[in-house]
Amino acid sequence: MKMNHHSETENNNIQTQPLADVYGFLALTMRYPDTSFLTEDFLDVFENLLTSLDMVGEQEKIRACRQQAGNLVDTLQVEYTRLFINGIPHIVAPPYGSFYLDGDHTLQGKSTQRARDFYRQYGYDITDTSEPADHIRFELEFLAALTRDNDLEAEEQFLKTIFRPWFSNFYKRVLDEKGHPYYLVSTKLIDVFTKEEQ
Amino acid sequence: MALNLTRRNFLKTASFAAASVPLSKIVAHAEEGVSKTPLIPQGSFKDTRTVTGGICEMCFWRCQLVGKVRDGALMKIEGNPKSIDNGLSICARGNAGIKLLYDPDRLKYPMKNVGKRGEPKWKRISWEEALDECGKKLKATVDKYGPQGIAMFPHGASAKYPMHYFEHAVGTPNVSEASFFQCRGVRDYAWLSAIGGGPDENVDMANAKVIFALGCHFGENIHVSHTKKYLKGLANGAKLVIVDPRFSASASKAHIWMQIKPGTDTAMVLAMMNYLIENKKYNADYVDEYGEGFDEFKEAISGWTLEKAAKECEVPAAQIKEIADLLAANAPNVSIHPGRFSSWYGNDFQRGRALGCLAGMLGAFGVPGGWVKPKSPGGFGKIKWGHGHHEEVEALHREAEIYHQSPAGTPTDLIRDCAITGNPYPIKSCVVWGQNPIQTIPNQQKTIDMLMQMDFVMCVDVMPTDITMYADILLPEASYLERYDYIKKGTQWDLSAKQQQYISARMPLVEAGFERKDQVYICNELAKRMGNEEAIPVHTIEEMMDKMLQPAGLSIKKLIEENGIHLQPGKDPYGEFPDIIFYNEDLVDEGYSGAPTYVPIPEVPQGYLRLLFGRSPLHSFNRTQNNAWLHAAMPENPVWVNDKTAKQLGLKDGDRISLVNSEGVESGTTSHVMVTPGIRQDCVFMAHGYGTKNAAMTVAKDAGIDDQKLITIIAVDPETGCHGMRNNFVKIVKA
Repeated sequence: MKMNHHSETENNNIQTQPLADVYGFLALTMRYPDTSFLTEDFLDVFENLLTSLDMVGEQEKIRACRQQAGNLVDTLQVEYTRLFINGIPHIVAPPYGSFYLDGDHTLQGKSTQRARDFYRQYGYDITDTSEPADHIRFELEFLAALTRDNDLEAEEQFLKTIFRPWFSNFYKRVLDEKGHPYYLVSTKLIDVFTKEEQ
Repeated sequence: MALNLTRRNFLKTASFAAASVPLSKIVAHAEEGVSKTPLIPQGSFKDTRTVTGGICEMCFWRCQLVGKVRDGALMKIEGNPKSIDNGLSICARGNAGIKLLYDPDRLKYPMKNVGKRGEPKWKRISWEEALDECGKKLKATVDKYGPQGIAMFPHGASAKYPMHYFEHAVGTPNVSEASFFQCRGVRDYAWLSAIGGGPDENVDMANAKVIFALGCHFGENIHVSHTKKYLKGLANGAKLVIVDPRFSASASKAHIWMQIKPGTDTAMVLAMMNYLIENKKYNADYVDEYGEGFDEFKEAISGWTLEKAAKECEVPAAQIKEIADLLAANAPNVSIHPGRFSSWYGNDFQRGRALGCLAGMLGAFGVPGGWVKPKSPGGFGKIKWGHGHHEEVEALHREAEIYHQSPAGTPTDLIRDCAITGNPYPIKSCVVWGQNPIQTIPNQQKTIDMLMQMDFVMCVDVMPTDITMYADILLPEASYLERYDYIKKGTQWDLSAKQQQYISARMPLVEAGFERKDQVYICNELAKRMGNEEAIPVHTIEEMMDKMLQPAGLSIKKLIEENGIHLQPGKDPYGEFPDIIFYNEDLVDEGYSGAPTYVPIPEVPQGYLRLLFGRSPLHSFNRTQNNAWLHAAMPENPVWVNDKTAKQLGLKDGDRISLVNSEGVESGTTSHVMVTPGIRQDCVFMAHGYGTKNAAMTVAKDAGIDDQKLITIIAVDPETGCHGMRNNFVKIVKA
């Protein structure tokens, strides 16, 4: 693979652990919400992360969700189903790369294969094949793993060639839908952490 | 937010505000979906293999398939090279099965409606929770109202196991299959009353001298091995006679096309038979040997002169005579096609009987070209649910002593009326399994009324079809490419070729994705929760298959070793001659006519056109309407309008139109006009399976016109209770 000298030099003076943790956290936000992880601690961390990043408006939105009446996990389950599984009038934003990349809105397309090949090339694979390998959650987990391995070159390459080409369209669908703030904030955060350097 | 925040800045400056819980703790278990594996060299050619044992279900002919599978994903579907049925050939729909398998709109997880019925807000739930809810609600219905309080609408191979559960173990008679009441049940029972058995489509067209078909649309309706028989017959020089108001794909290949007035077919057949009798052109030897009640029959149809039928059918008498002479000259090697979809006008039982009698008069049974039942392998294991602890409840039509010739189950409209009125008893839970009664049963509003009054509705399907919008619990089923479930058996398609038999079983080409489950799992779990655990006949779908295959000396394992198809020597199918019941005393006892009788149907009202519908070779009704490839090939269903009618109405080819029926029901969606001389002036035609209302079908929503929406008048066939659907009339509205 072609070396990226720019990142090579930078890699020497940076800590990758926090970024890996952020990717890991973002992957969690894209998982079907349940109480095994979506706890008060989780939401505290979410707010704290947003505060640290100076994303005050977003932090307030998460705070407001937590203060609303009703069970947040229940609400988010309905919203996750509607946005990402099956919804009426229809699924809003399928969280699979191939839906956006392969031209005919398919799952398990050629680009799914490319994503999985990429994982394998770097010594990883998905643990559960019932979901397509290009589910956003897997791709974020893989980014976390690469970052943990300190392989920022591969991380950048994955972002550039696999993740961003579809994420931008996915993100647009979520934004246009103007759904629950939790997912607006989560996807915004994903956008911030994955977009191309200016 | 910080405008300059980027990943790289973050890497350099990362610092989190002090927090009681560190981020690293929260994500400690986050990364479960991706794990370290041994390195796989880049570009390695991994895991591309041919998986055998597939059986198609894009339609119900069920061709034998193999799948090209790479890395767990199905890349391509082909015919199984070992097949002596479809062989290597599969149709457009069969090829497009991949698009169903990987359709993003497909159902993926069990879901609960947390909104209103009909306006669902879905929430993914666990199988445990979904099954608990279904079991509890269904059991409550049985406890309160008895087993008859449950209605079930099954369809397709996967629905067989649960259908028997609800019929036998639960004990509800309120089960209705669209494949019978809105399709071929009337044909099967009509022929049963004429030849003592169902006819299927067992005509030996490949070896026929004449193929005679009322309204069959070979080529528009593609069943691969059946189409092969038809084409071989034509290639061998068979004369083709097509009787159809429309210049169909078959009519375009016909030697004689009779453009008959809709609903009058029986009159035409009666006149042909009367002509054959009067001119002693029928096969008297066969009739003497195998016929019953021929004299009464002869007497009953004696008034049907060619001229009388010609007037009724609005065709030349000479053409009826020409066809009768052609058949007589080539008898007995003629294929009198029984048809398949046959619930047309509400007088269909009589048409089926007339066809059976015509074949009998020509002696067209058991000989090359005639009706010949293939000698298929038998001796398979039966999977039977135990009888639960319930009393026997008589079906509604048996109780009312109507529709004596009714096929299995209960006519759909009776179930619906009973549910809506609560008379004679309440029906308060509804189980829908692979059927879409919104698009199969005429009068959609009544179906919706029925669903709205239920205490509980559950649906099991692969796609979010219209009916699933009314589900309280919606369960995702493994598709035909992801499950076991069906024994496909038969013989080589050309009955005159080397005699061979085949046995195959549906086997998954790929693993079921997401949390989709098979019918044995789902149904057994329901049974456990409804107190019927003792009645469970098999514990897994693999066990079911092996039990069915075992008496034939086969197993899943053995079939896999044999590349999905077991072949064995066959037997000569010719030389069996059924008795023909020309005049049926049993029917007379039940209050029906003993001889085939013509019953006129309602005329087209002034200013309207009769709505005819049929198939497109690219779609199997609403099952395939959301398929991206098939949709691209035929995105909407053109409305055929006769050129003279179009001129009168000021319509040009390609004009956008909607339709409104004689009861004021509007199509809601639009399509385009196809102007053609190939349809009668008083009819329009369109393909069925378009114009879904369910926005969850992102490809098909509002594409074309849903004919079913416009079919609000049901003509109930008096003998069988089947639903004639072509007595509906429409006006064209320019869009």
